[in-house]
Amino acid sequence: MSHLVIDNVSKSFGELPVLRGCSLSVEKGSVLTLLGPSGCGKTTLLRTIAGFITPDAGRIVVQGNDISDMPPNRREVGYVFQNYALFPHLTIAANVAYGLKVRRTSRAEVARRVEDALRLVDLSTFADRYPAQLSGGQQQRVAIARSLVLEPSVLLLDEPFNALDARLRLTMQIELRKLIQRVGITSIFVTHDQMEAMTLSDTVAVMHKGVVEQFGSPLDIYDRPRTAYVANFIGRANVIPGEVANGHFDDPARIATQAPAGPAVLVVRPENVTVEPATAGDAAPGWPGTVTFTTALGPTVEYEIDCGWPEPLRAIAPRSPGRPQAGPGDRVVARIADPAAAVVLRRQDGAHVH
Amino acid sequence: MSTEALRPPPSRPLSPRRGAWMRPLVGGGLWPAVPAVAYLLVFMVLPIGTLLLFGFVTIERGRIVGDSFTLEPMLRALSDPLVWRLMWRSFWVAAASTVLCLLLAYPVAFAYGSLRGVWRTLLLVAIVSPLLTSALVRTYAWLVILGGRRGILNQSLIWLGVIDEPLRILNTDWAVLIGMTQIHLPFMILPLLAVLSERDRRLEEASLNLGASRTATFFKVIVPMSIPAIFAGLALVFAVSYTNFIIPQLLGGGNYSTLAVQVYEQTIVVLDWTRGAVLATLLLSTCFLFVLAIVSLGSRLSRWNEVRR
Repeated sequence: MSHLVIDNVSKSFGELPVLRGCSLSVEKGSVLTLLGPSGCGKTTLLRTIAGFITPDAGRIVVQGNDISDMPPNRREVGYVFQNYALFPHLTIAANVAYGLKVRRTSRAEVARRVEDALRLVDLSTFADRYPAQLSGGQQQRVAIARSLVLEPSVLLLDEPFNALDARLRLTMQIELRKLIQRVGITSIFVTHDQMEAMTLSDTVAVMHKGVVEQFGSPLDIYDRPRTAYVANFIGRANVIPGEVANGHFDDPARIATQAPAGPAVLVVRPENVTVEPATAGDAAPGWPGTVTFTTALGPTVEYEIDCGWPEPLRAIAPRSPGRPQAGPGDRVVARIADPAAAVVLRRQDGAHVH
Repeated sequence: MSTEALRPPPSRPLSPRRGAWMRPLVGGGLWPAVPAVAYLLVFMVLPIGTLLLFGFVTIERGRIVGDSFTLEPMLRALSDPLVWRLMWRSFWVAAASTVLCLLLAYPVAFAYGSLRGVWRTLLLVAIVSPLLTSALVRTYAWLVILGGRRGILNQSLIWLGVIDEPLRILNTDWAVLIGMTQIHLPFMILPLLAVLSERDRRLEEASLNLGASRTATFFKVIVPMSIPAIFAGLALVFAVSYTNFIIPQLLGGGNYSTLAVQVYEQTIVVLDWTRGAVLATLLLSTCFLFVLAIVSLGSRLSRWNEVRR
């Protein structure tokens, strides 16, 4: 059985459903990310695991024990707050010692474990300072040390990199990932940043309007998105409306699919689209269009191509010096490079489709 | 248009006569406080200074006798055991009512933080409304409530069968304590209210998450974080309680006296301005020392609050 199981958890705030039957599981020592836009319920789910929110229905099981009705101070679940919530009236060492002291740990052991925890996050020399004297990145490490010192069974982190500037964010993501690997603790992150989710996690749960839309490894979700929403949220995607008939989607070329007959969308990643100049007599199927915008990024070029759809078709092609590339106004034909990597999805009523 | 035209006119250099001490005033820093400071100088510091001076000069037929500076009245007061007894009573009554205020105010301010919408407004109105009537009127109200056999309190308690004989509360320390505590309660609630209702709830969640119970969280996080407000309230309430002469006079009765009551009696009734001024000097200077002690203890206990990067 998985280390942590979230079983069909639902929660409403008044009339507003925030979580609708969420189910997830995390293996021991692995990292799960709850990914979604603000208001999707990801933080509510995290707070439910910590016990700050009582779910209306469903169970939360850690190591086989149902903790759904346990008060937050008995849960042994570490929580790192978005703004760290360090106690401003306590020194760094006293912040880290807080949980040990309320457990009436002996003074000698508190001192030893606080020292170990501060060494783990490389903040030993800051023990006697106050939180206000530390930078954002240092405060975050204190918050993590304060949780880890109690050896919780799960570590929950609510948008831990939000308060950091972009450069520090990347460093801290990698540092944190290494730290989690070293300690081997089961962790759940909440983020709205898909790059962060890809960097940090073994598994990702994409959430949308209180529902877990897809749950799997980052690359699995990237390669095989189950909904147009997921396709757009993880990486960029061209979502092209069409029809499925007789087990295939026919725009621009025949693509076999398991999807049922009816309205459908084709999801194609920009790097799976090739762009060639339109030439007379070219009969191979493709999407003719006009380049409207190009961005050269060194190794690649990004094209926006007007194919007569509401949204431009995006393509990313490798760039090589000396080879001429299409520019704005050029007539081109876009084609799918690898039809097997394109995904056909049933079109949901009301779903947002480009 | 040349770029020259866009430049602001060169600022007039500071004249060398404006010394360094003027710097905070130049450019607006402290200027806005000047009217208030001038007002206080003319209408508070000057009259009080004059009044206190009366204790150190000889007054004959309402006039100060020139070159008559003397410490004699002050030394006489300091060697008078009655003065020390009055000061002690002033102190302990003020200290006790200040502590009572804190114990009563904290739960109210705390509850205010958990209320929402109209309930919150109602509680705020209830807290502030006593300030809309004069303290004198409220003291008289306590006279009616606590007074003898026909007082509201005794009548109700007898009617309820709690007691057979009326309690003797009026004209005791208890009456003074009860009156002072009620009348000064808003001064304790208001600073606490501001801090407790704006507090960061995530700190409490963090404490729970680290394994502390709600009670432990209250004493280890909420109370320490409110120490600046607690001590602001303590200093405020102590100062107004220690120097109040109306409440002890009315609720303590004719034989009840404190240092502040004596200042009033000597100055207004006995018309011994010298003794009145000497006692006022003692009252003000001890009050200042006690408040200083409270404030410095408060800042010692919240040293973290001054820490900034």
